[in-house]
Amino acid sequence: MATIAPQPPKRQLSDNDIFAAMEPHDSGAFANNTTPLIRNAWYACARSTEIGRTPLARKFLGVDVVLYRTLDGQPVAMRNRCPHRSFPLAKGKLVGDKLVCGYHGMEFGTDGVCSKLPALANVPATASVRIFPIADRGPLTWIWMGSPDLADEALIPDTWWLSDPSWGTVSGDFHINADYVSMHENLIDQTHFPFLHPDTVGTPEYARSKLTASTENNQVVIRRELLNCAPPGVYGKPADIMDKRVDRTSEARFVSPALHTAYARVRVHEPDEGKPGLYRYNITHVFTPETNNSMHYWWFNSRDYLPEDEAIDSFMLDAHTQAYSEDVEALEWINEVVRTDGEEQFDLSFAPDKPGLMARRILYRLAMAEAR
Amino acid sequence: MQDKYLNAVVVGRRALTDRITEILIAAQAGRALPPAEAGSHIELRFGGDDGRFLRHYSVVGALTAGSAPEPYWRIAVQRENRARGSAFIHDNFAVGTRLRVSRPLNAFRLMRHRPKHLLIAGGIGITPIFAMARSLDARHEPFSALYVGLERATMAYVDELGALCGDRLSVIQTQHDGIPDLKALLAIQPEGTQVYVCGPAGMIEALVAAAADLGWAPERIRYEVFNAAHKPEDEGFEVRLKDGDTLAVGAGMTILDALEARGVETYADCRRGECGLCTTAVVACDGELDHRDHFFSDEDRADGRQMTICCSRIRGRVLELDI
Repeated sequence: MATIAPQPPKRQLSDNDIFAAMEPHDSGAFANNTTPLIRNAWYACARSTEIGRTPLARKFLGVDVVLYRTLDGQPVAMRNRCPHRSFPLAKGKLVGDKLVCGYHGMEFGTDGVCSKLPALANVPATASVRIFPIADRGPLTWIWMGSPDLADEALIPDTWWLSDPSWGTVSGDFHINADYVSMHENLIDQTHFPFLHPDTVGTPEYARSKLTASTENNQVVIRRELLNCAPPGVYGKPADIMDKRVDRTSEARFVSPALHTAYARVRVHEPDEGKPGLYRYNITHVFTPETNNSMHYWWFNSRDYLPEDEAIDSFMLDAHTQAYSEDVEALEWINEVVRTDGEEQFDLSFAPDKPGLMARRILYRLAMAEAR
Repeated sequence: MQDKYLNAVVVGRRALTDRITEILIAAQAGRALPPAEAGSHIELRFGGDDGRFLRHYSVVGALTAGSAPEPYWRIAVQRENRARGSAFIHDNFAVGTRLRVSRPLNAFRLMRHRPKHLLIAGGIGITPIFAMARSLDARHEPFSALYVGLERATMAYVDELGALCGDRLSVIQTQHDGIPDLKALLAIQPEGTQVYVCGPAGMIEALVAAAADLGWAPERIRYEVFNAAHKPEDEGFEVRLKDGDTLAVGAGMTILDALEARGVETYADCRRGECGLCTTAVVACDGELDHRDHFFSDEDRADGRQMTICCSRIRGRVLELDI
């Protein structure tokens, strides 16, 4: 074994250095429900089919937005507040590609510029309303609430499997009265599975399997592997492999403030003639803060086999709706306690909480970098 | 109603050319300023406690591609020989100078998803155009830029814009290259190109005329004119009020500035001749009204019975207002 030569200290520590080291560290280094929301990120704003020729009002990151489509189908996201007297523009009407305010008839084009102000002969150049960058990607439409200069569409998270016809997907959505930080922590924390979801995804054997966690480019990834085991019902029943031994690997990833993905891979030891040896499941959790203490949530469960099978769709939809309803209920209970309990608490954390804390630290840093 | 203006302080100053000075403005007490989208401008009030001057300046933003938004507002001010506001800034602004500034207003909006964007800057008109180039570059939207000036030494940010744009930028030095043929430039643009121009009034008028000649829809040329209220040749005059009081409107200030300084109750919003809120009836004038707004129709102007006091003036000595 190599020995390490002792090094003389580079310089003597001053009293001030020592006092500085004794200062309490920033207790807010992990995001929670009071951390400013992160604006410079792409968030889902709706299923793309929800946006059409009837203006749709929805709040994101505390800001009222109206969504609609132009005659040729392009999505538009506009501040839902007339710059003149704050009338909600979603209560006005669409005329061609322009949204007309229902109060004094100001007309706004898809770039937010007012093209008609009936009470004046000329439209002042200052009459314009904020437009948010927006883009369709498969079943979802994404919005950028931060600086439009940074809204590079290449940064929209890739969820190709949601629009690949060889994959079958079931989906649901919730409006949740809880903070999106707790949602991220819930999704990357698998030690709650056997207790909150005993009937679906929580098998005790899996909860004890070895887990690795790492951070990569502001993402957090946890991976686990369980070899030569029985398949869990939620994946084994639809694939009709409950009598087989399988190897399970999974990855759960905090991708961005807006997205968490999970991949499960089930490799069958001795597949039946003509049946796949590998089953792939991709789970996509997409959520957007409405306010600090509420969010819009869309989930997708995708499989790489029998994409059109209605019996499998129905099984997957029921199993996952049950599991996610349990999460939603728990997060709403927790959020209510955090907001209303009169005595402050600093939550304890334990070793398995590390991936969640990694994600919350990233959220905190991103938020602080914007808040300055 | 919330206050439109924030307390701010000058935190940096440097000369860019002989006549152009860059000023960095931060919120007082280390608070972050609201971010400014590309193309937006701020109203700056300065010159003593009552803010005798009010001017509009575009926010330039970071000078390199891919930088984080800056925690201060970067503006560039060109000294006009007899426009008192810019001269006051050049003579008096230093680190620590206190100002009142508005939140950013965006009256010069970039569009998204155009087949191509063409940016044209003339002289000090570079300030919003620079921010637009940075935004388009960051978002990978196709664009090219033309920057026209007398010669390189007089052209603020010409090197930084070159570094940002690479071969997407053409620089014309009129002293060596002559006046660019804007109509020929428009004629070779791809279908659907959106144009943004900021510069001297003559240049904007020439571009609008060239686009009309080519049969382009007027909305394909988007432009911004600053500080129409002030021209170097402006003279002072006197304003008489209903109560018999008189006040002096100096060159470099507006009627509205003078009324506000006197404590007269006025109404104004855009302060650049667009919204019409400051429209005031004219009782008498010993000379011609010099309308500088975009609010009135030609008919209204010919009628001569009212004016926008935020920017319009008179060619004469005495103006009597119904106020």
